[in-house]
Amino acid sequence: MLSPERLALPDYEYLAQRHVLTYMEDAVCQLLENKEDISQYGIARFFTEYFNSVCQGTHILFREFSFIQATPHNRASFLRAFWRCFRTVGKNGDLLTMREYHCLLQLLCPDFPLELTQKAARIVLMDDAMDCLMSFSDFLFAFQIQFYYSEFLESVAAIYQDLLSGKNPNTVIVPTSSSGQHRPRPTLGEASMLEGVEASLFCQCLENLCDRHKYSCPPPALVKEVLSNVQRLTFYGFLVALSKHHGINQALGALPDKGDLMHDPALDEELERLTH
Amino acid sequence: MAAVEKRRLAVAQAANFTSSGRPGVSRAAATAESEEDFLRQVGVTEMLRAALLKVLEARPEEPIAFLAHYFENMGLRSPANGGAGEPPGQLLLQQQRLGRALWHLRLAHHSQRTAFNNNVGVAYECLSASGRKKKPGLDGRTYSELLKRICRDGEAPEEVVAPLLRKIQCRDHEAVPLAVFRAGMLTCFVLLEFVARAGALYRLLEDPGLAVADRHVGQAVLDTLEGALQASDDTAPARYLEAGSRLGPDSLALAMDRALVARRPSAPMTREEFLEKAAALFIAKVKPVG
Repeated sequence: MLSPERLALPDYEYLAQRHVLTYMEDAVCQLLENKEDISQYGIARFFTEYFNSVCQGTHILFREFSFIQATPHNRASFLRAFWRCFRTVGKNGDLLTMREYHCLLQLLCPDFPLELTQKAARIVLMDDAMDCLMSFSDFLFAFQIQFYYSEFLESVAAIYQDLLSGKNPNTVIVPTSSSGQHRPRPTLGEASMLEGVEASLFCQCLENLCDRHKYSCPPPALVKEVLSNVQRLTFYGFLVALSKHHGINQALGALPDKGDLMHDPALDEELERLTH
Repeated sequence: MAAVEKRRLAVAQAANFTSSGRPGVSRAAATAESEEDFLRQVGVTEMLRAALLKVLEARPEEPIAFLAHYFENMGLRSPANGGAGEPPGQLLLQQQRLGRALWHLRLAHHSQRTAFNNNVGVAYECLSASGRKKKPGLDGRTYSELLKRICRDGEAPEEVVAPLLRKIQCRDHEAVPLAVFRAGMLTCFVLLEFVARAGALYRLLEDPGLAVADRHVGQAVLDTLEGALQASDDTAPARYLEAGSRLGPDSLALAMDRALVARRPSAPMTREEFLEKAAALFIAKVKPVG
């Protein structure tokens, strides 16, 4: 259904919402890289194929990392491509190391940074024993959170550190009795007895974060849901909860539910056709 | 376009280390200039400017998909794809003309009146152009086919739109002037949107388990709608306010409440029936052709 709001936006905002200029600029770059192969009249066809591939989500294959992370749609498309290409790894129940998953990622994106894969692995392994084996589905959903919400997670990490050390990063006065601004710095003894941070305070900080920043955040209502089930939690405990949350996965829209991970009838059909 | 080219250079340089066989950071300014020349020469600059303007005019929900279709259509006209490179309309089969006209008609929403009218004009020209076996001008049969196609693509049930088509169709061999064509197109698109909204309204009324609505509640809504439409016969602003207030939550809710309270057992109202009746209210206001 056509929504009238987009008709009233100023031109630049409308274009920015869907990153139209990003894709147009990239289309021209791609054209220039392949210009020897394209005749004058093939240009319209080139652009058609380019924009069609953006719609289908295949445009990110074998592209450089800076492009893959440039827009939310690109990130989601990359996640989806990774799932579709390598779901058979999961099918056989194989467990892989972080480096092996990184090799798979590099097949799709030659300059994919190791750091990001490491961060994803840390979520699965709870920052412990980094050369442990991981299942495909565990890695995939952790990777999704780490990759799609990179910037958000960085800010969350900073907030977590602040809360751990007793500082309240909120500049807004919180009118509750448990406000961090009124709590004295915990002594060493106190801090070592309780693990992690208090969930409700953490939640408030995250709400402010989502309001303040434009980059993608998980739906605030769902983040609240995650934090309402516990009294206290650690940073990696939080990330694990995010990665396992069905609602957040669905809201993102790139990957199917965990139960349907092995299910890709479209691709199966394609493979049947190719091999028979 | 200068900004695009500056960014392009930056992106291209960043991508350098992945592209095979190209020099790295030492890319000379001369290469950049020659690329700019290339772009201008093959008309990419102009092509993209036109495309961007079209996107801003149409403001589609999915601009990337829109761009894909836009360039696809452009590609259809080029000699490399079997067209003769002559002005659109000549040497094209009927179906291609219809397809092309439809594409133009969908570029702008009917509420964007200037853009929509411009596109209607282009579509009319496309359909009226003379061909090898075709006299210039738009005939009634093509016009009827186009109307049917629009309604079919708009997913409106046939029974719902049939009364409209009967009202505004022209005889097969009649010549259709631009004014009639424009009025017909506008009516058609407005009706489709109206039917879609009626469908959404029905979904609110229907019992989720049974997929039908209570007849009296459905009828109450339709009656309120009819009353509101009658109020807007006059074009004075006051009439719009009156119509709006009749459809507002207060009076509509009251009407529905009354129907629910007085509920007598009766056959439920199906979606098709609701849509047909709603559409009939709209179509009653359409002036017949001829």
